[in-house]
Amino acid sequence: MLKKEQNELVTQTGPGTPMGDLFRSYWQPILISSELPENDCPPVRVKVLSERLVAFRDSEGKLGLIDEFCAHRGVSLWFGRNEECGLRCPYHGWKFDTTGQCVEVPSEPAESGYAAKIKLKSYPLIEKGGILWTYMGPAESQPTLPEWEFTNVPLENIFVSKRLQENNWLQAMEGGIDSSHVSFLHRGDLNNDPLFKGAAGNKYNLADSKPVFEVVEHPGGLYIGARRNAEDGKYYWRITPWVMPSFTMVPPRGDHPIHGHFWVPIDDESCTAWSFDYHPVRPLHAEERIAMQNGKGIHVKYVPGTFRPLANKDNDYLIDREAQKAGRTFSGVEGIGMQDASLQESMGPICDRTKENLVGTDNGIIMARHRLMRAAKALREKGTLPPGRESEHQKIRSAAVILPPDQPYKDAAREALIAKPGTPQTTV
Amino acid sequence: MILSESARVTTAHEASFRIQYPNSKPRAVKVIALDAGSAKLVDEIAKLNWHGAAFFTSLSFDAGSAPGGTDGKTLKAWLNDLAGRTMDLVSEVAGADCVVVVATAGKDVQSAAVIAEVCTLHHKTLIALVVPEDNAPDDQIDVSLRALRPYAKMLVIAHGRDYIEAMLTALRA
Repeated sequence: MLKKEQNELVTQTGPGTPMGDLFRSYWQPILISSELPENDCPPVRVKVLSERLVAFRDSEGKLGLIDEFCAHRGVSLWFGRNEECGLRCPYHGWKFDTTGQCVEVPSEPAESGYAAKIKLKSYPLIEKGGILWTYMGPAESQPTLPEWEFTNVPLENIFVSKRLQENNWLQAMEGGIDSSHVSFLHRGDLNNDPLFKGAAGNKYNLADSKPVFEVVEHPGGLYIGARRNAEDGKYYWRITPWVMPSFTMVPPRGDHPIHGHFWVPIDDESCTAWSFDYHPVRPLHAEERIAMQNGKGIHVKYVPGTFRPLANKDNDYLIDREAQKAGRTFSGVEGIGMQDASLQESMGPICDRTKENLVGTDNGIIMARHRLMRAAKALREKGTLPPGRESEHQKIRSAAVILPPDQPYKDAAREALIAKPGTPQTTV
Repeated sequence: MILSESARVTTAHEASFRIQYPNSKPRAVKVIALDAGSAKLVDEIAKLNWHGAAFFTSLSFDAGSAPGGTDGKTLKAWLNDLAGRTMDLVSEVAGADCVVVVATAGKDVQSAAVIAEVCTLHHKTLIALVVPEDNAPDDQIDVSLRALRPYAKMLVIAHGRDYIEAMLTALRA
């Protein structure tokens, strides 16, 4: 349970809000590289953290992310012509470069210097790991470039997708650190989904629907360890890292690729759910990539030409009551990604946490909220930059391990939780 | 959507029709400090305004008094409220919705075994919070984790008093 004012604090990320400032302390993924596939390609509208922007790749390959609306009379530059190193408004021909600088106002003499006095707000936009990232905070606080492991492996080892999720970012992210729902909501998929099935660890998940949890802080966030009984008195641990503010990783299963998410606010009532799969030491198999493209694993099928899931709230997520009754799916919704998204969207655009009744096993969620509020307050009141910005905080992995009962996973799996180039994931 | 249905998942406006009423009764959370350091923390937290939380210490615990002990003490002799009165562990746990034990990292947590046994008997969830002192070495934390792991449904390393407050608030204590 959160008080109303606490719920507002953690869910509002627009300009000038404490949580908005916190999000603006990090590089955020906003576009898949293929959305701007080549120089002078069409621009793309972007709404992120309640700011409307337009992204483009100019004639020389420079990336730009600028205010969506022309400084002249407010036309959307999404209609613009991307040509000769700038984005030209089709209304009266004003032209802007990738920094937002106006470089041409056709109605005014070039010598007048009028254009030089016009500049749109812009943010840096960089490309790494097949993703375009922006940083929207103060220039003097810009962190080093993202160092998440999946951004540093060869592109043939990665698959990245994103989907529109029509609810606040926090309730989506909280699903990523809530390990106890897997044994219920996703149980029908553990032995069927091509990106999950066959792992030895699945049997422990399915045999024990009441895991025991240990929550441990790390400098960038939390580790949430879920423990189930294995053979010979040992424990099967699934360890989920959360790095502030919204990065989570799912513990691996067998030799399947590892996956995880970013939850990036579009505005306070919607977010982009980023889903990535990668293998640290090998290219993805063709069949794995095809499965991901077909919406298996944590990915989804789309309404053609959009990032909106094909199963969405307008069609009640294509719920199949027969499949639910027969146990093929637990909720009647197909696919792990949409099983999560459908239930999270059903909470309403912004979950009212004054009405919830948490239990002891929700401590991962309780602690994540607590750390977010504490960090937002420290940034607002003292200017303290939040955790999760440093590269060491980002070089992190999830893990699945079997350990003797007396060994703390934070020590016994310490090496497994660090991303080391060329080292396979620790998995069961 | 079945055409006869009058509500659907859509907008903030639609979500605003969620009906307003208290959907839970107050819950009794029993918080037990296992050592002197955690007793100090618990004493400070107890001064705040709580709905259904009660606070105790097990500082008088003696392993010999536990079931099977030989010194003649009873199970009732060592649980104290913050005023120092002896309380009955079994009835306190029986009346709880959830039991939280708080331990300073590296300190003796023997009483947790008895508390856990009573929790098991009464089917109550036991949450354990390990609070490291400033600059506590990892091995102290490990000692506590190892000692409490067999008993706790949820085991948390909680840096500082503010997290304990946040957790109790979240649990509607």
